[in-house]
Amino acid sequence: MKEIGAADSSQHSALSSQHFDAIVKVSGFVKRYKKHVAVDGVDLTVRKGEIYGLIGPDGSGKSSLMKAIAGVLTYDGGAVEVFGTKVDSERAAERIKPKLGFLPQGLGLNLYPELSIEENIDFFAHLRLVPAKDLIERKARLLAMTRLERFRDRAMKHLSGGMKQKLGLICTLIHEPELAILDEPTTGVDPVSRREFWLILANLIQEKGMTVLVSTAYMDEAERFHRLSFLSGGKVLASGMPTEVQALVPGSMVTFEATPQLEAIARLKKSFRQVESLGPLLHVFTGTADQSEARLQIEAALGDLVPAAVRVDQPELEDVFVALLLRNNEHKETSGRPPTSAAAHNHDGVAIEAEGLIREFGTFRAVDGVSFQVKQGEIFGLLGANGAGKTTVIKMLNGILLPTAGAGLVAGADMRTAAGTIKQRIGYMSQAFSLYLDLTVEENIRLFAGIYGLDKRSMTKRYQWIVTMAGLSGYESSLTGQLPMGVRQRLALGCALVHSPRVLFLDEPTSGVDPIGRRHFWEILSKLAREEGVAILITTHYMSEAEHCDNLALMYAGRIVAEGSPADMKRQVEKEAGRLFEVVADQPGKALVYLQQAGFHGAALFGTKLHIFCRDPVRDKACACRALEESGLHVTSVSERPLSLEDVFVYRVMSLEQAERVPGQEVAV
Amino acid sequence: MNDRDDIEAGTLRVWALRLFVMTRKELLQLKRDVPLLLFLIYSFSLSVYISGAGISMQLNNASLLVHDGDHSASSRELIHRFRPPYFRFDGEVEDQKVGVQRLDQGTAMLLLDIPPRFHESIVGREPVSVQLQVDTTNAPQGLSAAAYAARIVGEFSFDLASFRLGGASGGLMDMPRVESAHRVWYNQNQDETWFQSISHILRMITLFAFLLPAAALVREKEHGTVEQLLVSPVTPFQIMLSKVLAMTLVILAATALAMASVLKPVFGVPIKGSAPLFFLMTALYSFTTAGLGLFAATVARNQAQVGMMALLGISPMLLLSGIATPFEAMPPWVQTLMALSPLRYFVDVTYGILLKGVGFDVLWDSMLAMALLGGTMFGLGMWRFRRQLE
Repeated sequence: MKEIGAADSSQHSALSSQHFDAIVKVSGFVKRYKKHVAVDGVDLTVRKGEIYGLIGPDGSGKSSLMKAIAGVLTYDGGAVEVFGTKVDSERAAERIKPKLGFLPQGLGLNLYPELSIEENIDFFAHLRLVPAKDLIERKARLLAMTRLERFRDRAMKHLSGGMKQKLGLICTLIHEPELAILDEPTTGVDPVSRREFWLILANLIQEKGMTVLVSTAYMDEAERFHRLSFLSGGKVLASGMPTEVQALVPGSMVTFEATPQLEAIARLKKSFRQVESLGPLLHVFTGTADQSEARLQIEAALGDLVPAAVRVDQPELEDVFVALLLRNNEHKETSGRPPTSAAAHNHDGVAIEAEGLIREFGTFRAVDGVSFQVKQGEIFGLLGANGAGKTTVIKMLNGILLPTAGAGLVAGADMRTAAGTIKQRIGYMSQAFSLYLDLTVEENIRLFAGIYGLDKRSMTKRYQWIVTMAGLSGYESSLTGQLPMGVRQRLALGCALVHSPRVLFLDEPTSGVDPIGRRHFWEILSKLAREEGVAILITTHYMSEAEHCDNLALMYAGRIVAEGSPADMKRQVEKEAGRLFEVVADQPGKALVYLQQAGFHGAALFGTKLHIFCRDPVRDKACACRALEESGLHVTSVSERPLSLEDVFVYRVMSLEQAERVPGQEVAV
Repeated sequence: MNDRDDIEAGTLRVWALRLFVMTRKELLQLKRDVPLLLFLIYSFSLSVYISGAGISMQLNNASLLVHDGDHSASSRELIHRFRPPYFRFDGEVEDQKVGVQRLDQGTAMLLLDIPPRFHESIVGREPVSVQLQVDTTNAPQGLSAAAYAARIVGEFSFDLASFRLGGASGGLMDMPRVESAHRVWYNQNQDETWFQSISHILRMITLFAFLLPAAALVREKEHGTVEQLLVSPVTPFQIMLSKVLAMTLVILAATALAMASVLKPVFGVPIKGSAPLFFLMTALYSFTTAGLGLFAATVARNQAQVGMMALLGISPMLLLSGIATPFEAMPPWVQTLMALSPLRYFVDVTYGILLKGVGFDVLWDSMLAMALLGGTMFGLGMWRFRRQLE
């Protein structure tokens, strides 16, 4: 909980060339809502020209802090200083407001749905008294940069999530503020749009020397920030540059295969706190940075089970955050092992079979010939941007929507003719968790038990099972609305499982849940699949979660464009595009331009680092280094990075978009 | 399709169990909504009392100014006849213009102008007229004030005439005269609180029967819980019916509260007919109005929109169905249109059962109309609800 960044950041070259003016200075910040303490003594300094990230789950206090800095929320303790002005009164807040732009949380919440893109921009510009000449010039530039110019007459309500967020950004920046405060700008936006958003932001900072304070709930976005604070429960758990935060928890991630997996997990859990199963792989965080030592520790813990395909990596920031959270012991939720159902389940057989599914809405074909198969005991991930057709596929398989053509078999019932039977046999959990917030935990479970027609005896039995499985004991008579998101999520899962379904549909089930809650949730899902043979079909925006799936299908414009296991999909991309390398160089903004000129079209900026694809590692690496050094930039390091599923997703969608970029074809949902 | 599948999947018992748990859920949710509950209780108790005691269509305490140009025994006698509680004598004005000014200001409602030589004319057996100026900005009050005043002056004139005649021949007997002897039925004391308090209960029933189920359905849409229900074996019919059932129960309880706490003990409203029949009819009316509300809820996207639709849909019903104004006095096209208002029939049914004591034999057509309207609305709502899923 100490502020490391301020002390030793001078050694890092990327920022040291710039001056250290503090744009925002927060000390001992406290915010209470009635008795609830939302933020409890936070210190923070944002310097000119940096992207400062606030990372943390819902309810960690990010929004309160950002609103107070933007001068739109009063606070109860500490001091907030922006541009050297103490923000302690309405008048002081008015003084700083012309120099800052604030994008509140929520997709397009600051925009006017009935107005067109251009009208929205004009409105914000007029509000900020932007001179007409500047407006025309800036509008043109920003619209071009965000690739929205084709849609300038389209009403905001007809835009997709990613487009709305880009428009929100334009409206926030149209008066060229010195400080932009962006509250979760990428939440609920698909990976491609998210990456594009960061790119635009990085370019703007390069161009205008703007300072950005931004928050996110996606842990994997942390490395895009120059410096960051990790918040949990209103306190700062760690802050500094990504590398500094990483250094707080030394350790390594060991990834390997071991069979039988369940037995291996049980053994590993005795020695390690962070054990995850990713499909056939196991992912374990060891407390030692020495890689061979880490390997030995794993082998010792496994005993006579021999690990195969072992890989040892540096831990990702997300692993570090989880370790920090565990170290602070904030999570005392204990979940018992879900008692395995007595009934022997059939682990073989096909649970879901979709064949040539087509669904049309008027002339628009939302789903176009989708076929796939999910076996009992398999976790199947359906990925895709908003509007790619995922939800429509799920609705058809659930029997709420009839397909225009094609056939499907779910839990042994034909979705065309036996929708009622399907509903009886499947469990479903949606993004909103779909619980009644004004009912208690027990009342929610009993409601769904009644809906599925459970009799008293099986209800009592199942109730106990759910409470144990989801770690809900102690919460039974709490109102659902007052539960932490992670608990709410597990309750929703429990309600979806009340009738012991053989097939489970999960539609973006982990939004807004902290990383530990998410891991806990995945642990339950793995057990359901492995031990009880439940087939699970899941959609998610978190690409790091997709790693947990056995098989994936990526949807684009209603079609499945890639499928296979996570490892397969990565291999396919590596074959086509090459391997991923991380370049650390001076002036990353300029470096990006030079790399692109040198032919690295997929080059992307991640905070102070650059990512490039290399088909021929040796030749391309040399080529990249030469391009940079010839332009007078110093290259600190070039190292290979494992490809993430997000890289796969973005690569696939971008190449498809480029292949069929015909004006007026973009589908907004 | 869903109902057939249900029978496949289980039995009637399971179907009933589903309806039961859904209805119980609605009641639980309402119980947790304390502000709404308080508003409901207020609407069916204190608010009924306030309307019953406070709203009066009758002429009461109308301010009267007099410009007396005569100051005679006869003029005093006439002025004296404008009596409370209908009129309040607010003094004389010297100048007629001042009187008109007071009318303009709204501090007086009537200005009675008695000409000079009023008494002389009466004594001299000459016809004479007094002028009455009435402020009819509030038309019903003004018109009844004018009518009352005309009757007072008429009676004064009649009394003078009969005094004269009587003075000549020794009695009134010889005078031709038609008297109206009316008998008051159903509300012998002509107690206006009866009508007003019952009207208010009807208004509240209408409002809540529309809003409660509609808000409950839209809230499920907003929170995404309806999606969860739709992928479960619950049918759209059960989802909607459970809301109607729960809210009808609540409205029946609230109506009973209003009858037991205000209508009977405070205003002494009799229940001449069958109380069970009245409650049965209230349930039918709630169902009908709830159908309308649920239909609105399938169109609306959020609770604010449902509120707006309630204003739009319910206001004409409340105003034109016969509790605010007499139904018969409305233009024919409004009357035709109001055939679609379930409240129009429920008004007949309520007054019929409570005050007149009539039963099924007289009211069956109104009941049938309500049932038909309710069934149609509910069916339309179901159709919209199902279609929305597409």
